[in-house]
Amino acid sequence: MEQTPLLRIRELTRHFAVGGRVVKAVDGISFDVRRGETLALVGESGCGKTTTGRLLVRLAEPDGGSIAFDGTEITAAKADTLRAYRRRMQLIFQDPGSSFNPRMTVGALVSEPMHLAGLKRAEQAARVAELLPLVGLSADYAARYPHEFSGGQRQRIGIARALALRPDFIVCDEPVSALDVSVQAQVVNLLTGLQHQFGLTYLFISHDLRVVRHVAARVAVMYLGRIVELASKQDLYRSPRHPYTRALLSAVPSHRPGMTRRRMDAIGEIASADAVPSGCRFHTRCVHAQARCREEDPALRELAPGHVAACHLAESLPS
Amino acid sequence: MAEDIATSHASQELALAEAPMDARTLLSVRDLTVEFQTGQGRFEAVHRIGFDVAKGQVLGVVGESGSGKSVTALALMRLLPDHAARISGGRVVFDGSDIVPMREAEMCRIRGRRIGMIFQDPTTSLNPIFTIGHQLREGLRAHLGLGRTAANRRAEELLSLVRLPSVRAALDKYPHELSGGMRQRVMIAMALACEPQLLIADEPTTALDVTTQAQILELLRDLQQQMGMAIMLITHDLGVVAEFADAVQVMYAGRIVERAPVSRLFANPAHPYTQGLLHSMPALDEEDPAVLPAIPGMVASPFAMPDGCPFHPRCALASDVCRAAVPPLNPIAPAHSAACWHVEAVMAA
Repeated sequence: MEQTPLLRIRELTRHFAVGGRVVKAVDGISFDVRRGETLALVGESGCGKTTTGRLLVRLAEPDGGSIAFDGTEITAAKADTLRAYRRRMQLIFQDPGSSFNPRMTVGALVSEPMHLAGLKRAEQAARVAELLPLVGLSADYAARYPHEFSGGQRQRIGIARALALRPDFIVCDEPVSALDVSVQAQVVNLLTGLQHQFGLTYLFISHDLRVVRHVAARVAVMYLGRIVELASKQDLYRSPRHPYTRALLSAVPSHRPGMTRRRMDAIGEIASADAVPSGCRFHTRCVHAQARCREEDPALRELAPGHVAACHLAESLPS
Repeated sequence: MAEDIATSHASQELALAEAPMDARTLLSVRDLTVEFQTGQGRFEAVHRIGFDVAKGQVLGVVGESGSGKSVTALALMRLLPDHAARISGGRVVFDGSDIVPMREAEMCRIRGRRIGMIFQDPTTSLNPIFTIGHQLREGLRAHLGLGRTAANRRAEELLSLVRLPSVRAALDKYPHELSGGMRQRVMIAMALACEPQLLIADEPTTALDVTTQAQILELLRDLQQQMGMAIMLITHDLGVVAEFADAVQVMYAGRIVERAPVSRLFANPAHPYTQGLLHSMPALDEEDPAVLPAIPGMVASPFAMPDGCPFHPRCALASDVCRAAVPPLNPIAPAHSAACWHVEAVMAA
């Protein structure tokens, strides 16, 4: 029998009203996050991936749909119930520097979630002394201030803070995008190491398809508030079935000198989420689009075991 | 210390001697040093760097924060912030004249006309309260002395050149009404308005999504070939360099640590930093090792530069000589130089 997934997301929706228009940031998405896996969520700016992450840890309220965490529906949970789950779900941000209070010491920053959870001072201090070395920082840094640290070190502080309450699930929102190339690999290694050590489950939000290929077990591709393809990493990178996924993959600069031949599946830029095109929302950029694509919104279909994509033409795309 | 500088200086000249200055050289930088004065003290953001850009060549400049790559670009344009930074030594010879001692009035005839520039974030260089058409026409009238009708026609031509859809409509739009990719196309149109001989592009696609980045790079490449201009492309992204540049120089802590033709650099990196960067990037089409081979540590603070090679605290090959003396940028193969005391060991690895 298959285990219940750690998270079960169904028809999750979040719309924002902006200046009289409705921005469909997240527009009916469904997926599971399996225990101990890294599910990557990729897509370009404005696709809704960050909003999705915030909805999952309940930092944003959904308009519709459901989130079940460890078998329990938490979408409509009251504050008390939610508090117990909050401890088990954490978020790591792209730029931890901007989310830190500059007047708090590193120790206070890492302690804060424990303080809010009502842990005793001594327990907090002991845990800080344990956490800092765990993320590759000296325990002495507890007395120092975040501005004294580099971007990579600040991200390590953010990770220590996220780990403070021993969560099961962490949303990593572009955790290495703001870091220098030479430091990115260090933080990627830290995150994968911690995952093995503590059996963590990650939702890894990123636009960097190289990093995603390294960390993820499965990958979901988002476009204008919808998941357009979801598959195991191997399937997605080897045989992408949605034209948008194909466009994303062929746009990544290779490390082989000389201009690569691009398979042109996409033109132009992402449409605005307040003016979602009719039919398939990708049709305005798709070189394969036909009349049907402009009228009929394609549903996610299983094209191979565990490989779903939302494209009418998935079977007939040129390889 | 003085001796180190002398040797480093001599061999930098030696490395450049392979490609002697000839009629094809458009830009020739020698011993350029840029000094910053801050509240915390004084430091050199760029230390005695030298390089050439040939006419029509695309030179990639790779480095991370603090490497001095953007400061180099600003120095070449003489756009360093007056109150905090100055060129404290060296020459920047553009098409035969040294721009370092030039008066500002003279520099104005080069900047924007013969050397164009595009930046990472086009929103900072576009005025939000004027239409795209207004800003383009203004530049054309000021730089080229065009009349109203001619400027208008040229503005339309330029926007078509950068493949902006519906050019007429775009002229009447304000910057915020365009997407990031469209704004970058407008910036490119502005930079190309006077058909510069050299375009300095500082992280031109970093703020863009990957599918947009691919389109902008393709556009830049087509325009470069069409117009025969040279491009100095500054980026942290080795993939962008691989696709776009003819030659690359890698900067670290204010110095050039390696320079090579692009295919050579990717096939035979000779500096441990270059090699580390290439190895630490996850692959797109093959399995990586479970633990990525990361470069340990981080770039030293400019106020606490280590003695000797600035990379030695992060380098697995570091030895006594690395801790004692800065390695010169030595030629190791035709058009390939590296600043490392252990080049043979690096290349054997």
